[in-house]
Amino acid sequence: MHPDNALESEVSRLRNSNDWSRWSPDAIIIGGGVAGLSAALHLAERGLKPLILEADKKFIGGRLAGGETIKIGEHSFRLEHGVHGIWSQYRNLQAMLARHSLRPVFVPAQEENWIYKEGSFVGMTAVGSAIRYSLFPAPVHYLQLFLRGGFLWMLDIRDWASLFSVWGGLIMAVGIDPFAENQPMEGMTLGSMTKHWSPALKSFFLGLARNGLSSHPNEVSISGFIAFLRFYTLMRRDAWMFSYLPEEGGTCLCEPLSAKVTELGGRVRLGCRVKRVAQESGEWQVTWDTSEGEESACAAEVILATDPNNAKKILSASFDGMDELFFPRALSNAVIRLWFDRKPSRTAEAGIFTGDFTVHNYFWLDRLYNPFRRWARETNGSALEVHVYGPPEVLSQPDAVLLTRAIMDVEQAFPELRGHRIGQHLQRNPETHTLPTVGPKEKHLGIETPWKNLFCAGDWVRHPAPSFFLERACLTGIEAANAVLASRGLPKWTLVEYLPAEPFVAWIEKLMVKGRNRRKQRTASR
Amino acid sequence: MRAMFTYLQNRLRLMRGNVTLSPRLAVYYVTMQCNLNCVYCEDFGSRRNHLVTPNPTLENAKKILKVIRTGVDRLWLTGGEPLMHPGIVELLEYARNDLKFGEISLITNGTLLSKVGGRALTTEFTESTEKKLLKSSVDSVLSVVKYLDRLIISLDSVDPQALNTVSVPDVYAETVIANAREAAALQKIHNFKLILNAVITPETLSGMDMLLAFCTENNVHISFSPQSVNNLPRYELVTSPEYRAFIEKVIRLKKQGAPIMGSFSYFKVLLDQTPYECYPTLIPRIMPDGWLAYPCRPMEKAGGEQGGRAVNLLSVETWDDAWRIAKGKYGEAPTSCVSCFQQCYAEPSLMQARPLEYLSERLHGNDVSVYAPG
Repeated sequence: MHPDNALESEVSRLRNSNDWSRWSPDAIIIGGGVAGLSAALHLAERGLKPLILEADKKFIGGRLAGGETIKIGEHSFRLEHGVHGIWSQYRNLQAMLARHSLRPVFVPAQEENWIYKEGSFVGMTAVGSAIRYSLFPAPVHYLQLFLRGGFLWMLDIRDWASLFSVWGGLIMAVGIDPFAENQPMEGMTLGSMTKHWSPALKSFFLGLARNGLSSHPNEVSISGFIAFLRFYTLMRRDAWMFSYLPEEGGTCLCEPLSAKVTELGGRVRLGCRVKRVAQESGEWQVTWDTSEGEESACAAEVILATDPNNAKKILSASFDGMDELFFPRALSNAVIRLWFDRKPSRTAEAGIFTGDFTVHNYFWLDRLYNPFRRWARETNGSALEVHVYGPPEVLSQPDAVLLTRAIMDVEQAFPELRGHRIGQHLQRNPETHTLPTVGPKEKHLGIETPWKNLFCAGDWVRHPAPSFFLERACLTGIEAANAVLASRGLPKWTLVEYLPAEPFVAWIEKLMVKGRNRRKQRTASR
Repeated sequence: MRAMFTYLQNRLRLMRGNVTLSPRLAVYYVTMQCNLNCVYCEDFGSRRNHLVTPNPTLENAKKILKVIRTGVDRLWLTGGEPLMHPGIVELLEYARNDLKFGEISLITNGTLLSKVGGRALTTEFTESTEKKLLKSSVDSVLSVVKYLDRLIISLDSVDPQALNTVSVPDVYAETVIANAREAAALQKIHNFKLILNAVITPETLSGMDMLLAFCTENNVHISFSPQSVNNLPRYELVTSPEYRAFIEKVIRLKKQGAPIMGSFSYFKVLLDQTPYECYPTLIPRIMPDGWLAYPCRPMEKAGGEQGGRAVNLLSVETWDDAWRIAKGKYGEAPTSCVSCFQQCYAEPSLMQARPLEYLSERLHGNDVSVYAPG
């Protein structure tokens, strides 16, 4: 049975059977994304009965959920949000998957290209392998890029002149750990930090950040950017190692995870949009809407594992004073898929677009996902996915305009594909993509909240761990489960530690932290 | 010399961006049948005997080795339990005397290294098991070691109780230890190296010191590999301070000259599970019926579009033909893979990718050509 069908039949069984009213959960988890699934799985493994309430009517997994199936010619392809893989530092996510034998054999990333357009100039060069296999230690490993002719070709005299200021900006990130220090660095954005950088280098690093943070530079806070740099590339060369999922996230991760939660005694309900939570006789009552009306259930603990917008909405409907709290923003984006009847002549399997392009990154799905690879083998075709992360005025354009601009960009980068397009699809994702930001400690919700036995999980939650997105969702999910376990006197789960910084960058970090502390002391003594 | 030539040739290929490297050795699964049922084994075990490929005929096994020999100088024979193949001794003799492999290693669980052991063990099985398969094919340790450069016996503990926790009954433990002692005594006479390979599990971890002492006492080398679940070191190990302390101790003891196989680079990978560049074609696997697992066993088993049973060696004449067909079907082998941390893939890949560390290991006198079977 297809996992979708399995889930739906389980939900239908729960709705229609009498046992639903008799089944009372130990903990209610609001949101069935990676954070909610991780929390539920870790609770169920300890013998508790978690109930996951997912708002989506059909698919579990949040931003990693699978989507509807569309047909291109005779072939079917399943849609998704646009999350394609994991980074080497996603250690808790991998450990959780492996423990349940759900960890797929990944598709290792071989190379990422940088495609840059300025006026009539369009250049393409390989950058990914230079960063992760650099001969130079972190944080100077980017020097390897300067040994590549293709990269040098992208630069002009202005880039060489501003090299030290660019490097200075990067080195600054070594001395500050925004997550661990809870440094909001308010008022500064990536756009303002890079304002005076030279065109190509600015475009390259903004492209990396946009690719990693899936957001427009003017919206990226400097704390989020520094934390991003530190986690994904600045402190270790091998942190830039990326592995693609062999299928879309719903099929290969979220639906199997959900089935495992059910197998271990938990339950998953789709189509349940939570409205509010309230404390009732020492328990939490959670109320939600379904297509059949309002329902509610009680449990000793609740884990709020939605995206930040929905978390704010639920908490605002439940408590007063929510305007005082800080919630990172969640942004929308657009995912465009194009099918061609031939393959491109030169390209890595993925890469970034920067400069005067509308689209921001690309993935050749026929080199990643099994269904696309099978189709490409049979037809000799190719399938490309491009993402558009903003700015809002671009995303607000009508579908036809956005699609046309994306097609023009792609055909400019891969002119050999002109006239060979056989299908296209545009998907607009809602405002659920977290823009990583550090808020003031007293305002930014962490795992523990001001309300007893109400915990938060998700990639937007305050936590000193350096991780991002899927890994952060998983880690905070485990931490929220640990909070529930602790309240019941049950053993907690040990987190897998992240790899330490390389020795040279660790030494620089130590010096910079020492310098900052001395400066603080001097300032304080004055 | 040939090994060094292959190493340098592969370095050149890497410098040119070609990651499909020439094999350091080939692993032939003589059989998928096994007489043990270790809990951690994700591939074989007697519980799967009725599901797996039947033993190849001796004639086919010889043909497969002949094709392998056209491109590879070093051979590992493994299983399942290779001594359950009725023609194993003849196959070893053929590989050594006719095909003249430069180096031959046999990986066994050690239970069937003698007739006595074999008979004792068959009584453990139920009627549904094919008992004829469980009989030992060899008369004594001596009948196999004379063809070998390395005999690798899988033994996770010398404490029968610890072995019970991984589903190895007492009778096996006693037999294996007796056979390992016998083999150890024959090393100098027959010029082969005996290596014990221990899978570290949370249950066997505390007994590793005893195992190390056994190796030192009996002049036996040892290699370690953490228990893998779903191709990743088991969660209970990677989050255990005891496991970390043990690996640190292994590194320390190795520096002091303890007979521990594996490079320092590999143990550092084990310590933190740091990602490494994997070159799976360095250690290709051939299944009993001749299918080449391309590009590596985990990808072949996954059955996706990255790899699979690409070509049967029984249908080609040379090793190069087989690889041409495999690459044609699945493309170049990938690198930068973080899908597994098996020593058999990690060790040769690390040494190939890091020439300075390779040189340093050689200067320290480390034999980095042997890895845990994985």
